[in-house]
Amino acid sequence: MEQILSNIIFVPLLTALILGLSSASLRWIRLGAAASSLIVMALVIVAILNFDPSGGMQFVRIAPWIQNYGITYYVGVDALSLVILVLISLLMPILYAYIWKEERKGYWFNMMILQTGITGAVLALDMVLFYLFWETMLLPIFILIGRYGNGAFRYNAMRLLLMTILGSMTMLFSILYLGYTYFETTGSWSFAINDLSGLDFNPQTSIWLAAGFLLAFAIKIPLVGFHTWMAPAYGSSPTPAVVILSAIMAKLGVYGLWRFGYGLFETTLVYYAPTIVGLAIIGLIFYAIHAIMEPNLRRMFAYSSGSHLSLIALGIIVTNIYGWGGSIYFIATHALASAGIFLMIGLLYKRTKSVTIDDLGGIAAMAPRFAFFFVFFALSIAGLPGTGGFVAELLIIIGAFKANLWIGVLAATTMISAMLYIFWMLQRTVFGPAGSHTEAFADLDGREMGMLIPLVLLLLITGIAPSLFVPYLEPQIEGALAEVMRAIGGIQ
Amino acid sequence: MIHELMQILPMAIVVIGAFILMLLSRSRVVDLNKLNLVAVFFLALSFLLELPQFGRTEAVYSFPEIFGKMYIIDDFSTLFDLMFSAGAIMTLLINTDYFKSRSYFNGEYFALILFSVFGMMTLAHSNELITTFIGLEIASLSIYALVGYHKRNKISSEAMMKYLVLGSMTGAFFVLGTALIYGSTGSTNFNDISAFIASHSQEDLTLVIVGGTFIMITIMFKIGAVPFHSWVVDIYHGAPYPVTMFMASTFKIAVFAIALRIYLIEFASISSLWTPMLQVLTIITLIGGSLMAISQSMVKRMLAGSSIVHSGYMLIAISSIGLGSEMAAPAIMFYLIAYFISAVGAFGILSFIAAHSKKQMTYEDFKGFSQRRPYMALMMAIFMLSLSGFPSTIGFLGKFYIFTAAIESGQILLAALGILTAFISVYYYFRLIAVMYFYPSDESQKKFQINLSSSLVALMALLVIWGGIGTTLIPFIPGVDGFIDIAKQAIGSLYIK
Repeated sequence: MEQILSNIIFVPLLTALILGLSSASLRWIRLGAAASSLIVMALVIVAILNFDPSGGMQFVRIAPWIQNYGITYYVGVDALSLVILVLISLLMPILYAYIWKEERKGYWFNMMILQTGITGAVLALDMVLFYLFWETMLLPIFILIGRYGNGAFRYNAMRLLLMTILGSMTMLFSILYLGYTYFETTGSWSFAINDLSGLDFNPQTSIWLAAGFLLAFAIKIPLVGFHTWMAPAYGSSPTPAVVILSAIMAKLGVYGLWRFGYGLFETTLVYYAPTIVGLAIIGLIFYAIHAIMEPNLRRMFAYSSGSHLSLIALGIIVTNIYGWGGSIYFIATHALASAGIFLMIGLLYKRTKSVTIDDLGGIAAMAPRFAFFFVFFALSIAGLPGTGGFVAELLIIIGAFKANLWIGVLAATTMISAMLYIFWMLQRTVFGPAGSHTEAFADLDGREMGMLIPLVLLLLITGIAPSLFVPYLEPQIEGALAEVMRAIGGIQ
Repeated sequence: MIHELMQILPMAIVVIGAFILMLLSRSRVVDLNKLNLVAVFFLALSFLLELPQFGRTEAVYSFPEIFGKMYIIDDFSTLFDLMFSAGAIMTLLINTDYFKSRSYFNGEYFALILFSVFGMMTLAHSNELITTFIGLEIASLSIYALVGYHKRNKISSEAMMKYLVLGSMTGAFFVLGTALIYGSTGSTNFNDISAFIASHSQEDLTLVIVGGTFIMITIMFKIGAVPFHSWVVDIYHGAPYPVTMFMASTFKIAVFAIALRIYLIEFASISSLWTPMLQVLTIITLIGGSLMAISQSMVKRMLAGSSIVHSGYMLIAISSIGLGSEMAAPAIMFYLIAYFISAVGAFGILSFIAAHSKKQMTYEDFKGFSQRRPYMALMMAIFMLSLSGFPSTIGFLGKFYIFTAAIESGQILLAALGILTAFISVYYYFRLIAVMYFYPSDESQKKFQINLSSSLVALMALLVIWGGIGTTLIPFIPGVDGFIDIAKQAIGSLYIK
């Protein structure tokens, strides 16, 4: 059990290394990648079965790495990282099914390395290890967009890279400062998060240090103002990359806000809370307006994704049980729904070579199965009752109302605006007269249905029976919340 | 006697080898390939004899009855010797294809390389200012000749003239500084000077301080710190690829060897006097180097510009030493090792490509490189990642230690500037990765030749990765900690008397 997380992290990377060094043929690469993702999935299921909802960090593994500076290989999983871990292990096989016919080998290798990067970033509890994975996951995305993308993809890949690394660099500075302060106060080095969280700073230093982290996360989410890379990068990405970007990597920004923001800077976060709430509220409205006006489907859902992630960030920052519970729930359900919709857009692009709304129309008449799935995922993005997104959004909005009436009112607009752009888009793409690119439209085949059905089922289950998941999440969220409340001196 | 001979044997072998190569270079029987092997043989012999000497418990002076305390042998110098001979071996072996493809290479090339290695070794061992100057000049003169090796090429000759004139002029500063210090302290020996400085108050030390500043100017010129940097890009560009590789990876390190010894030993007690000057130099070096690197279209010139920035990072650590940081000196050592490995690899690949084409090697020429030569491209990407300080490479840890040392010494803003320039460097290094990977290639994939050159480059790539993530979990192979321990031990040996 001790090694289970290490295996989950490194099986894909090792597979990629073995396949790469042996110059394997495409057939083997494909099988190897699929096998690695299924092995990881099996391991994650084992982990879930052994997970104790009331215990804190679990399956912890600490091994010395760079002893001179007290840097350790330190991984562990709690409720929130388990949620993201499950999503990753679920999405990877689906993405492999999606790219099954892909013949460019680089695609497969990058996907495997990407899986190791994102998994590692979620599970790492040592700051330097976290930073390593946080940066590493960027490389495959950079290559995937810059090599296999569309539009001005090279430029957009560079832009994504530079903006995200700018955030990472400020975070690195804060990490180094924290590590050194720990050394100064205790006489020994450590970069483990639970060691660093005990440090005391004067408020001014703490504000600067927190800014280093917050910039990294704000760019990753992206909060409004730090978002200029988002729509171009989403628009230029090949489908698997955009699914990972929206379903996992953006969530890692929120995850970081929660894990490191609250883990290291509880009190300072109070100082930043009004700013973040403001940016989140402006963001969810601003992105929604963009989404309404956007003619390109990929970019439209990029904005929609930004809007919903702002809502998640809001839920995290209002610091009450509804906000936190809803945010964590939304992380899961939004990942499922956005993975679904971006896969549908990918399938659409394969058929029509266009994702511009004006070129489309009348799909429902020609391809009813395609239309069904498309409409389903689009509506679960909009928060249709009965899908998981509805439950989560509702919880966050209740949390926002508990914090402040006006925050609640403004947060609630996201449900209305999402309905607006989703329905208008559906009307112009799926229904209505056939567009210039949709005169002949092939319906979904068995493989495509196979990869979409698990997403549909999970969205329905999370929507109809949230009580199945609550026992897993609630004890830890309550525990963590109580801790934060104690630190900032508030009442729950 | 025998024991003392054994200690200087590694150096003696290099200089003997250089003379033998000079004699052989006019021979009709021995062709370039054989000369290359002879040169590598001597260097490898020196390397192997030196290797077991690392890890001694005390510093010794060789033949004190003859040389006095001119000539010191400690772990610090041994580590540098090892890097010099390794760097020269890499230069010779990786460039085997290159000098075969260019007609202007002949026998003296090898002798010059060995002479300059000898000069650098003298530099690392010297415990006295005159010896330092001689070592510096032996190394520099060989390098001047090597830079202008392509006699019929205008750029190459121009580069040599520039370097020669500027280099000699800054050499004069060194002599002047030495004279001033000698005039004031009555000795050129580091130990005596440092004792003199420790026993006198600052008012009596004016000449020493002025002299020290002159010496520092020479050193700043040699490492290419702004504002003494104007030669770097042109000379790296004009020199043949193997020479550029040798200069960037090996010679640069040699200058840091003497800089560290002077700064840590000779001027130890007044080193903080120079801190403001060093800080200003660091700031303009970081910014100026970044501006130079960012505006280049040729990869070689970009690497030249970026080598200025790397000097800037090490200057951060040098000024941290003056402010009392204990981590800074080992951090520079580690950074030198990291930079050495990455630069040897990056320039090695460049000259490997240059050997097989007549291209100028602009960014454009790298389009589709990952399709033509996937393994080479991967290794180049690894070196670029390391130079830009991307985590999971040795370059990241190098920066990690430097910036931590800067924070330790309280130079928060300098550390922040370092991180900012590291961010800028991401642009120009990743630009190369981007052109290699983002563009399709018209030509078909070339086979990866497994020969000595390519396997050495591959070894460097592995070292870069292992130095970034290597754990101590695997027995018998030293991990990252091994590298740090080596750096710490080398620095520690400076203080053993």
